[in-house]
Amino acid sequence: MKRRDFIRSTALLTGGVLVAPSVLAGRSSIKRNKKITILHTNDTHSNIDPFPENHAKYPGLGGVSRRYELVSQVRDEVENVLLLDAGDIFQGTPYFNRYNGVLEMKVMSRLGYDAATMGNHDFDIGVNGFVNAQESANFPFICSNYDFTNTELYGRTKGYHIIEKGGIKVGVFGLGVQLKGLVPDDKYGETKYLDPIEMAQEYTRILKSSGCDLIICLSHLGYEYASDKISDLKLAESTSDIHLIIGGHTHTFLEKPTEVINKTGNSVLVNQVGWAGVNLGRIDFEIEQKLKKKGSFVLQ
Amino acid sequence: MIRQLIYIFIIGAGLTACSSASYIAADADVIAVEGEVATNNTIDSLILPYRSELNKEMEAILCRSEYDFVKGRPNAPLNNWSADALLQFFKDSLNDSEPTMVLLNTGGLRSTINKGDVTLGDIYKLMPFDNEVVMVRLPIDRLEQIADYIKSSGGEPIAGVKYHNGKLLFNESTGSDSFWVITSDYLYNGGDNMSFFQDAENVKYIGVLLRDVFIEVAKAQKTLVYKDEIRIVLE
Repeated sequence: MKRRDFIRSTALLTGGVLVAPSVLAGRSSIKRNKKITILHTNDTHSNIDPFPENHAKYPGLGGVSRRYELVSQVRDEVENVLLLDAGDIFQGTPYFNRYNGVLEMKVMSRLGYDAATMGNHDFDIGVNGFVNAQESANFPFICSNYDFTNTELYGRTKGYHIIEKGGIKVGVFGLGVQLKGLVPDDKYGETKYLDPIEMAQEYTRILKSSGCDLIICLSHLGYEYASDKISDLKLAESTSDIHLIIGGHTHTFLEKPTEVINKTGNSVLVNQVGWAGVNLGRIDFEIEQKLKKKGSFVLQ
Repeated sequence: MIRQLIYIFIIGAGLTACSSASYIAADADVIAVEGEVATNNTIDSLILPYRSELNKEMEAILCRSEYDFVKGRPNAPLNNWSADALLQFFKDSLNDSEPTMVLLNTGGLRSTINKGDVTLGDIYKLMPFDNEVVMVRLPIDRLEQIADYIKSSGGEPIAGVKYHNGKLLFNESTGSDSFWVITSDYLYNGGDNMSFFQDAENVKYIGVLLRDVFIEVAKAQKTLVYKDEIRIVLE
């Protein structure tokens, strides 16, 4: 074994869960590392235009035109970019009331979204209403814990989605909130809500065995609750193999992702960027590849 | 654009079993969507026809207002106006022998109605959600729970009742053992934790949107009027 490889292997082994940031920063130039940038939104709520300049909380913020510009800048800057949304695309401005979600879908398609999940408000004009708007979308909706059998949405969403970019396999699944009580019964019809933790375990198993390097959950469960209701933080700690939960529903503005330790002692990132498209989340992942010879880790 | 470098950390090696990665590092930023208003043909050409048509519709003037109608707790002009609008709109269809109150949520009133011309767009901002009006019949003892709710929340828009000394009293008392609440389907379905609606004896979906009631009442009033009265007195 060459001396150089020996040193690198040592660093990797001592790395484990907690390598100091400085060590990592020093490693970022290693050529075989693969990089991918995740851009994300949640709860955009039909905010096509920026908030007006006299808006009490977010004067002049947001707007899809500027979001497009910012996304384009990142795409110019780095090679591998995914754009994801965690639901509640619908409801909040007259654009939705007037055009029933069609414009939102067209805009997101043009922005180049790779995938989204459904929020409770995406059921506001019924399953049929969503299906009509979805005709204008060129990206998939990932719903892993809604059973749409006997509804018009059956076969129109995916339980999971694998995207390969720059040699990285990204597995995406999506979790939605319990609809009963949030959405009038007749709007979601026979849609069945399935247990988020059970479905997370099911889909992470599939994605892991498909060789995904990165597993992302698009969640509309909500960041955190005072009650024992399932939330992103609870989901993160009660599962294994999820790397990133992109959340929504609670309109939580996080300055940085929350790091949660999962069932197997590894870190999961939970992020959420408020609502209305006033912020765009960005997470740059760098994946260190295994050395080709498996045995080379063993120091003898 | 503000780019804050947040932190770097490691996601452990737990995924190695089936993937080729041995560890994963991540940086995170929050990118504020602000600054010079970008114009780019790709998106703007798509939105423009929708925006022009919509703006034309939303600029329609419904009436005038001589005050800024703000919401608030426990009492506020917008609270009284919105609750009274429902009572006014449905007064002809109510049964006099059964007491009726209106209960909305302060949080659901999403915008102020400003002094001056009141446009269709203003009412959409006030009530952007497509909430439907429902009438819910509750047993009379649930009045106490509604009173407790109002006390703990600090005040919600009400009409037909007053809250005093910890109790809700109908403006016109009857000996009925049940009462009707005019509210929204959102609240009836458990929104804002108004759990007392679970004990409904009867529910009528009216098929009218809350926003449409506000629009019709605004048009009918020509100049917006509200009852300047204290309905909720918290100790």
